[in-house]
Amino acid sequence: MSEFNIKKPVVPLPDMDPEPQIPEDELFFTEEELEQIERYKEKYPTNRSAVMPALWMAQQKFGFLPPEVMQLVADALDLPYAHVFGAATFYTQYYKEKKGTYVLDVCCSFSCQACGSYDVLDYLEEKLGIHAGETTEDGRFTIQEVECLGSCGTAPMLQVTNGPYVHNLTEEKLDQLIEDLRNDKMPPFTSVTLPQDEDEMEGNRRSDVEHTDTYQTPPETKRWI
Amino acid sequence: MEATNGQSKAGDWQNFERVLLPPIRDLHRLDVYEKEYDGYQAIQKVLREWEPGEVIDEVKQANIRGRGGAAFNAGLKWSFMPPKDDRPRYLACNADESEPGTYKDRQIMEYNPHLMFEGILIANYAMQLDACYVYVRGEYVDWIDHMQRELDKIYEKGYVGENIFGSDFSTEIILHKGAGAYICGEETSLMDSLEGKRGYPRIKPPFPAQKGLWGNPTTINNVETLSHVTLVMRHGADWFSDIGAPTHPGSTIYGISGHVNRPGCYEYPTGMLISDLIEKVCGGMRDGKKLKAVIPGGSSVPPLRADMIDGVTMDADSLREAGSMLGTAGMLVLNEDTDMVTWLRRVNHFYQHESCGQCTPCREGTGWLEAIVTRIDEGEGNLRDLDLLIDLCDQMEGRTICAFADAAAWPVRYTIERFREDFEAKCKPAVFDTGGVAMTA
Amino acid sequence: MPTITIDGQTIEVSGDKPLLQECLNQGVELPHFCYHPAMSAPANCRQCMVEVGTPLRDRETGEIKTDANGDPEIQWLPKLQTSCTVQVSDGMVVKTHRTSEKAKRGQRDTMEFLLINHPLDCPICDQAGKCPLQIQSYKYGSEGSRFEFRKVHKPKRVKLGPRVMLDAERCINCTRCTRFTDEVSGSCQLTINQRGVKNYPITGPGETFDDAYSMNTIDICPVGALTSTESRFKARAWEMSRTPSITTINAKGSNCYYMVRDNLIMEVVPRQNIEVNEYWLPDEERVGWAYERFNDERPEHGPEIRVDDELTPVSWDRATDAASNALSSVSSDAVFFLGSAHATVEDNYLLSRIAEHVGAEAPKYIPHVEPGHGDDWLRTDDRTPNAQGCERLGIHPVDAEVLRSRVRSGEIKVLYVLEDDPVASGLFTAEELEDVVVVMHYYNTTNKTLAATDVALPAAMVVETIGTYVNEEGRAQRVRPAKVIKEVNRTLMMATGKSRTDMHGTPFDRWHNESHQVDCLPGWEILPKVAAHLGLEFEFSGPKAIMLEVTEQNPAFHGATYEAMGLQGHRLEDVGETV
Ligand SMILES: Cc1cc2nc3c(=O)[nH]c(=O)nc-3n(C[C@H](O)[C@H](O)[C@H](O)COP(=O)(O)O)c2cc1C
Ligand code: SF4
Ligand code: SF4
Ligand code: FES
Ligand code: FES
Repeated sequence: MSEFNIKKPVVPLPDMDPEPQIPEDELFFTEEELEQIERYKEKYPTNRSAVMPALWMAQQKFGFLPPEVMQLVADALDLPYAHVFGAATFYTQYYKEKKGTYVLDVCCSFSCQACGSYDVLDYLEEKLGIHAGETTEDGRFTIQEVECLGSCGTAPMLQVTNGPYVHNLTEEKLDQLIEDLRNDKMPPFTSVTLPQDEDEMEGNRRSDVEHTDTYQTPPETKRWI
Repeated sequence: MEATNGQSKAGDWQNFERVLLPPIRDLHRLDVYEKEYDGYQAIQKVLREWEPGEVIDEVKQANIRGRGGAAFNAGLKWSFMPPKDDRPRYLACNADESEPGTYKDRQIMEYNPHLMFEGILIANYAMQLDACYVYVRGEYVDWIDHMQRELDKIYEKGYVGENIFGSDFSTEIILHKGAGAYICGEETSLMDSLEGKRGYPRIKPPFPAQKGLWGNPTTINNVETLSHVTLVMRHGADWFSDIGAPTHPGSTIYGISGHVNRPGCYEYPTGMLISDLIEKVCGGMRDGKKLKAVIPGGSSVPPLRADMIDGVTMDADSLREAGSMLGTAGMLVLNEDTDMVTWLRRVNHFYQHESCGQCTPCREGTGWLEAIVTRIDEGEGNLRDLDLLIDLCDQMEGRTICAFADAAAWPVRYTIERFREDFEAKCKPAVFDTGGVAMTA
Repeated sequence: MPTITIDGQTIEVSGDKPLLQECLNQGVELPHFCYHPAMSAPANCRQCMVEVGTPLRDRETGEIKTDANGDPEIQWLPKLQTSCTVQVSDGMVVKTHRTSEKAKRGQRDTMEFLLINHPLDCPICDQAGKCPLQIQSYKYGSEGSRFEFRKVHKPKRVKLGPRVMLDAERCINCTRCTRFTDEVSGSCQLTINQRGVKNYPITGPGETFDDAYSMNTIDICPVGALTSTESRFKARAWEMSRTPSITTINAKGSNCYYMVRDNLIMEVVPRQNIEVNEYWLPDEERVGWAYERFNDERPEHGPEIRVDDELTPVSWDRATDAASNALSSVSSDAVFFLGSAHATVEDNYLLSRIAEHVGAEAPKYIPHVEPGHGDDWLRTDDRTPNAQGCERLGIHPVDAEVLRSRVRSGEIKVLYVLEDDPVASGLFTAEELEDVVVVMHYYNTTNKTLAATDVALPAAMVVETIGTYVNEEGRAQRVRPAKVIKEVNRTLMMATGKSRTDMHGTPFDRWHNESHQVDCLPGWEILPKVAAHLGLEFEFSGPKAIMLEVTEQNPAFHGATYEAMGLQGHRLEDVGETV
């Protein structure tokens, strides 16, 4: 189960007197980034609406969203800091603390649970020597248990650092993934071929993707929770 | 065609030709969509020949029942929009798709995004809207980029923006990326999220049509619903309502997952027999195991026992009669090895994790449900816990701002009701300590 | 005006408020937490549920359908409704918990949920005794709990800012506090953190909740989640008496209650007055000095006169005698009277009368204006409560330069000061007053002018006296004694008995301690004594009679009788620039 455990439910207080984690001389948006923020603002009638895209951009740039970055976003959008903080903590994809370079979000919801996602989690935990919710000592990997990622037919599956999906996970696939990531090779975008396309079009309909996968019979499930 | 027991309402589904995801190579590309799938013809015809009100009537008559979960007639929903005044008006296209077990909208976004864009343009014209915000869940980042590329193309060609297709109608389409919150799929929470706030569902009334995005008239529709709009305007309402289940017509994308041989997203007419979907479409149960449960439309709908699916078809009415709902048509199939208690425990965890936390019964209830089911799952529960669980469901259902609390309670209520033996097997027998002598009842 | 039926009783309502407010206005109590009349209604606590029905109308004619008895047929909404979000309509029928088992159950069920993760630490909670959660769970909750798990552990003792502490476990997430900073004070410093059962309000990390109105969140928090860093753990709600009055740190005249135990002001909390401060008080009215000036720093020895260059305690008779002797010892143009914008209208009036009697020029007052302090809301540039009252009495700001040169030149030999501190105000140095006989009514031993005072008369403060203040906007408001002084006269005693109930209106005040009674007197007792020695007999039976005379004689106070002022004050007519 993920960090908050209903059996021992503890909600920690964020550090209310935080030391800045981004060096002061790096804590700014470039001209281009500020222009991008202006473009975000133009998409909506209010500045406040631009908070989500701006947080995404900041996370892209700084890797995570420590308080000083949220403040930076607030200043760029001329919003109260608390509004930015409140929004950032509502959404799970915003990293409020530093994560590993690669975050492995293993879906353990509903269909994935029924198709062996906890076996995937076990395997990863064993392999990386950490529990879900933790980061390896070298700062490379974080494992997280997440909710349905909208790819239930290719369960078990995971997402790497809010980016590409990896489908139909097996131990071999996980080994390969970890090795690739150790070499900083992100998994490519993979288009999963519709079963009806397989039948009627002999494969994936997209000619612009290099990597495809198909729906497969899910594996037996050893651990269910 | 009236369905009799054991018969699909989907007609000759084996020979059905897909319309949302027709077998056309590279259909996602604008040029292909235009050349090979009559792309953007419907909107041009509509702009030329149809009054906005007529479009609404046509869509209403087609009876596209919302594919986001509530199965509400899309045209009827559109007709609730107030007459145009000087306020801006919006459409929100719901591409948040976070209901566990659901992954069908993503197929449209990947393989036929222009069908959705065209539907949005038609909707915007019909309701005379200034813009449509497409709220896509943040995890779908690759598909957002993919759609943005296609959207840029139609902006370039003048299909969207100022005076689209040279008409005097102007409208915008804007993609918005979510960031990980199931609740933002709920239509009013989606609006708060778009406004840059915490995604809190709002009380209705006022309804979005009266006071939606930034306080202005707004309609919310699902990706698939809007895609169907294009087809309705292309082929006519009658064509559409002739497909599938009479009271819930059209085709739909069944997203099937779980213990079947060939899971995946399949487009077929509505009203398919559940048994056909499992046996004929998905190649039957994995390893020939027996079916135990089907959850027909995402985690929020009541699960059906294997013996309850005889003759049940995938449309709102048939499923209601059977004691469940169509929801998102994201169907999870579970085999006989499944322990429904452990399964339910994880479902409860989902709702605890995703509750926005506004309403007392939902905020507190979802955690409490999870705690009890966890205890039962770990062999520490009592039989009376089952009554308590049902009580708590009573206390949550219909008592909150949005339907999330109902969605959290239903799986509990119906899993206990329909799979009670799984729970009883795990509960400790009731023991009364009568002073030194334990008595089992 | 629409008519609605609540539990069988038909009433007329205003129609522009939510059902919950209409019910409360009619004295129909409905349990509720998140609703607050000054803010948007999120309907998140789900506590105020009732059954709601509307008359069934014929589709064609629009006529209300009636049953066999001729009563309208009612269509009941299938779900319970949160009354805070129901807009009333004519003919609406409502069943509350008083008549509906369903509503009663709904309320009880919500209460059960509210309490499962609540620490139930009422025995050590400051809110106990006045806690809406505690009170309503007794009234509407069920007995016992079916929750057998660990409660969610959340941050406790979090100092959100200099004045407000958070115990997140007690919080029921009603969002009143965050809505206050968003919608009322506008500081936007609070937000809800996380989501679901992990929710709680907080500032952004590193941000201090230093909103100049932060303490209002303590008042509106329906549980003990937000407490005052200052008065936390000091007094239980039931130990304090509660006196309706106004605050005097600025010229707004915000309505408040003084909470008193053992003759010490423990807390100042807002009192509703829609015309003045609505539901709020600025923090400056209730921290630090706002209390110290009432409780500490008070004269310990009663009246004093200077003997051999030392202030020496004497009886009130000797002191007032000395004061009048000073006034009659010199010619009338060598006497100068300083009125006070801190003192009541009544006391300033009596002072004017004495000045007139001895033939001196009309009193002046020292303005205490701090440009930039005001915020166009409840803080004003003027740091005194009664400049308007002075002006309306014809007491105008003193010309500091002129007065100073008259003192320096020896022209002024006697200075009579009403409840102020000319030295601290920078009017003179203590040395400059060496050759002047100074008679002064004063509040605190920190008064800098005491060093040059010859007759020091401890004066009752706003929390000890009866009188009238006129705020910046010309609203005359009464104050009532919240604590007792050593020598209580009949008038004060009567008023004390009437004003000092506890917060639930219980009329006895068991919490007084003789040691905290200050030996001081209200101006309207001191001044007549002084006047008597001068041959001026005031025939007033007390401040009420003084005020009556003021209203009769001075059109600028027209109508401001004690009855008219009541608890909400009386708006005086504008008199334009009075200087
Ligand atoms: C808790 C909750 C979550 C929802 N999530 C989604 C979602 O992810 N996608 C969606 O299209 N509709 C979702 N809905 C339904 C929407 O509120 C809304 O009914 C729908 O978007 C309307 O579109 P439609 O009429 O085209 O179906 C959700 C509803 C609830 C109560
Ligand atoms: S029911 Fe749950 S998810 Fe919906 S608004 Fe209330 S707390 Fe939020
Ligand atoms: S701290 Fe108090 S006012 Fe704020 S949300 Fe919690 S209970 Fe409500
Ligand atoms: S349940 Fe894992 S992707 Fe849907
Ligand atoms: S007071 Fe109505 S829901 Fe809270």
